[in-house]
Amino acid sequence: MKRTYVAAAFTASVVAAAGLTGCSAGGGDGSDGSVTITIMETKQTNIDAISKEIPGFEAEMAEQGKDIKVELIADVLTDEQFMTKMTQQLIAGQAPDVLDIGENMAISWSSAGYLAPLDDYLSEWDGWSHYYPAVKEAITRQDGQVYSLPSGAGVLNLFYRKDILTELGVDTSQPETWDELIGRLVEVKEKTGDTPIVIPAGTAWGGGTWGEGFMPLLGGTDTEFYDTETDTWDLESPGWLAVFELYDDLVSNGLMPVEDLQNPNPWEPTKYEKFPEGEIQVAAQGTWGWKFDWGPNGATPIEGLVEKVSTWQFPGLRSGDKPYGWSNTGGGYAISEDSENKEAAWEFIKYLSTGEPLAEQLVASGAASARDDLDDVAPYSEEPQLLQAGEDLGESVFVVTGDGAAQIGQAVASATELILSGQADGQQAYDAFVKDATDLLGPTLVKE
Amino acid sequence: MTILRSRTAAPVLNPRRRRRLRPVDVAQRSVGYVLIVLLALFCLVPFAWVVLSAVDADAGATVQIPAFSFDNFIRFFTASGTPLLLINSLVIAISSTVLNLVLGIAGGYALSRFAFPGRRFFMFGILLIRVIPAPATIIALYLIMVNLGLANTLHGLIIVQAVSGLPVTLWLMKGTVDAVPVELEEAAWTDGNTRLQAVRRIVLPLIGPGLGAAAMLMFMGSWGDFLTPLVMLQNQDLYPLAIGLFRAFSERNVIDWGLLAASAVIYVLPPAVLYMLVRKHLLKSSLGGALKG
Amino acid sequence: MTTLVDVPASAQTATRPSAPRRRRGQTWPFVLILLGPSAVLILVFIVLPAVYGLWLSLTNTQLTGFAARDPKFVGLDNYTYLLTSADFLNSLGQTGTFLLFSAIIGQTVLGMVAAILLSRPWIHGKGFFGAAVLMPMVVPEVVASLTWASVLATSPEGTLNRLLNIFGGEPTAWLQTAPMMAIILVNIWRGLAFAMIMFQAALEDVPAELIEAARVDGAKAVQVFRHVTLPLIRGPVFLYLLLTTISTVGVFGLVYFLTRGGPGGQTRIAAIYIYERALQFSQIGIGSAASIILLVIVLVLGAVYVRLAKVEV
Repeated sequence: MKRTYVAAAFTASVVAAAGLTGCSAGGGDGSDGSVTITIMETKQTNIDAISKEIPGFEAEMAEQGKDIKVELIADVLTDEQFMTKMTQQLIAGQAPDVLDIGENMAISWSSAGYLAPLDDYLSEWDGWSHYYPAVKEAITRQDGQVYSLPSGAGVLNLFYRKDILTELGVDTSQPETWDELIGRLVEVKEKTGDTPIVIPAGTAWGGGTWGEGFMPLLGGTDTEFYDTETDTWDLESPGWLAVFELYDDLVSNGLMPVEDLQNPNPWEPTKYEKFPEGEIQVAAQGTWGWKFDWGPNGATPIEGLVEKVSTWQFPGLRSGDKPYGWSNTGGGYAISEDSENKEAAWEFIKYLSTGEPLAEQLVASGAASARDDLDDVAPYSEEPQLLQAGEDLGESVFVVTGDGAAQIGQAVASATELILSGQADGQQAYDAFVKDATDLLGPTLVKE
Repeated sequence: MTILRSRTAAPVLNPRRRRRLRPVDVAQRSVGYVLIVLLALFCLVPFAWVVLSAVDADAGATVQIPAFSFDNFIRFFTASGTPLLLINSLVIAISSTVLNLVLGIAGGYALSRFAFPGRRFFMFGILLIRVIPAPATIIALYLIMVNLGLANTLHGLIIVQAVSGLPVTLWLMKGTVDAVPVELEEAAWTDGNTRLQAVRRIVLPLIGPGLGAAAMLMFMGSWGDFLTPLVMLQNQDLYPLAIGLFRAFSERNVIDWGLLAASAVIYVLPPAVLYMLVRKHLLKSSLGGALKG
Repeated sequence: MTTLVDVPASAQTATRPSAPRRRRGQTWPFVLILLGPSAVLILVFIVLPAVYGLWLSLTNTQLTGFAARDPKFVGLDNYTYLLTSADFLNSLGQTGTFLLFSAIIGQTVLGMVAAILLSRPWIHGKGFFGAAVLMPMVVPEVVASLTWASVLATSPEGTLNRLLNIFGGEPTAWLQTAPMMAIILVNIWRGLAFAMIMFQAALEDVPAELIEAARVDGAKAVQVFRHVTLPLIRGPVFLYLLLTTISTVGVFGLVYFLTRGGPGGQTRIAAIYIYERALQFSQIGIGSAASIILLVIVLVLGAVYVRLAKVEV
């Protein structure tokens, strides 16, 4: 046993030394017509899921007479780290052939020209017609082209600890308004002394503050903040201030774990420690919470998850708003523009996006299907929470945005940080946001 | 030297020394001892966790009495990723040191032995470069590396590190070669040696200490560098220990503390041993070169 | 500067008796072969990035988004943005605090104390104490951070919390409640040895007779230090301040590792700000402008030190 390890270490050293004299990513074509494509995954569940699918794909290609090998680059990273690193690789032309990306990356990278448009491939593929129209809309970028094919879709909701709230005698029915929910959270706080709710906020959470916190809250009360006619951001749209004031309410009532939120990796103490422990009772969370975060193979498993945890839709924020779920579909598999093996990469994406391989990935990472023909495919068909999320997808809200999303995300992160650190109230945070966003976006991206 | 001096001084000092051991002096010395002991503790206590956890079979994030075992070190060398980190670190640090020294010896020799217009300008120019903080140019440097096709490669990183240490090495080597009398070389030429042979036979053997100082500074700089590999390398197969340790530490959920501590100890050993070995000999010349230059 | 360039070669050889007297025609090929590669590499990998950074700071270059396709010259826009941005000014302020307390005060004072104590003839165990003080300097930045992460750990088992517990102190989340103090402490710890070495070297050059003379005149130790020793080591002290200023402004790993600029941007020193802007937010233009501002500040500080040191450089 030991000896093989030593041998492996020795081999590695020789390879490393050889690597010195020139090597680069992206396999390229062998002289025998074989092709090696690379795919990068940064979440352990996805790493496991994809590595399971590779042999099947290679076998299927072999049957078709194509010699395509897949190399999985497994590197566990946060979304921020992944985006930083991959942006650098894309610029250098060293990115993997296939990327698994989030919505903000799809927006930033497609507009910069780093991703290959998929439209030509999609129009020739019979699977494309099975994608829900809402999904197609969400992944169409502002130039009218599609750059990423979602492996799954999620619905963002409020996950809550049913067991604990029941024990405390707090109402667990769907709250209609935020005022109602805040009333319940105050009750929890008085009984336990905990900070009962976590919604991504501040700079430490990175892109999640916008994508998984602020935007779902904003889009539920105001869909006009991005103008698709002119591809500009309307910073005067009324929803902005309302959401900043909501954050302010939650913080000034002591309902958010502000200290945890201001530290590196704020999801660790909140979602991975306090929520599983029951010390945070409500969390803004996507469908993947059932698997990726708290499932049996997830980051921090919660035993008896489906009995202990349940979901509410986001309550209405301004008068007249109804509770809603927020759909999250904007990312998916993409091909880097510099890839020398786009055809082979597309074959792999197609394989991953069809039938059983897709069903297995959805179950592994905890996502609803973005296609209408998967509900009967095992193992996806055996997951009631995911099927439910798939149904909810049809009614959930989404706002498609475009270039500038990264800058908006930053400005929101800094402005909510001001609230977390007690330096600003809702109005002041909004003012700071408008100033910052105007500077960052430049004149062309702000609606007059 | 010191022995001689104290001997001759002894008769003069003796009466006063006896006088000085009054309560005031005792108090002064006690304060001195307390201060130096506190300083030493301040410097050493932080290492407690690394040292104890490295040999602790169930190490945690904080200091505890270890369940003694060398298991963590065995795991370092048998785990799938960690040996590669060490190898990468060695390859990077050794290669950049060698490259740096080769360039530095050649350049330092030229700066010392040849008088040419612009020489002083060059010397002061590269001294001024030292003022630029590394984070200030790292982005532009990265983009240049991309254009040269050197981004995300070990040889690219090696060149960058070797060159970043070059100003100091050039100054050191110039000073060291200056100290070798040129007459020795000239004598070798008249004996029929070529210039290169003279350098090899006469100069190289005499610049050992300076060379050692330059090598140590360069090796430690490269070995400990964090920012440059963080920015330059994106492929985890190329990561050195610095990045590997940082990455292992950031995965807070699943940190293997014992392995992390053992990796840290292994990471510290080369520079620490190197430093302790050559400290006495090289401190003067390295500082002399870096400061007086 | 130009006078330096124009110094005739013969004048220099004349001042250096050991330099070979060779005809210039033979000099250039040797110089080009020996020094050429170094000069080219320094030009490409050190000078060019600085110049290129200056150019980038005048453009709106980004790594992502539409701006990545077509960067434009925007004049001084990035500079106006930064110099009116509360975030950046805060970051400069934090860099200043960090520099002042960790390097200029902390390292210098403690380094001087260590150097003086270790120069006392009556101190025993100099080898041990010297090696102890040197350890923090020898270890790489990442390990230094790692050791302090355990010292400052939030839990009651963190080393510092345990020590304080002996004196009845409450466990504290140091990196959250006093992050700036924490990184200052860590940087003092790390830079102390270099200060000590430099001051030791300087103290050795102070003639013992002068000190003895002052003592004989009845001056107290503190007075001797202030009026005799300190003026004599003025040059090395300011040289140290110059070097530590440069390296402290360049500190990145320690802070990135321990706090990543947080919590709430309280430790977002300039190096972290630049990294965030340029590489995390991909705003190369703004990040470069911030770099140039930082560089100018260091140059100004350097000039001030050189002035104060009254030494010729």
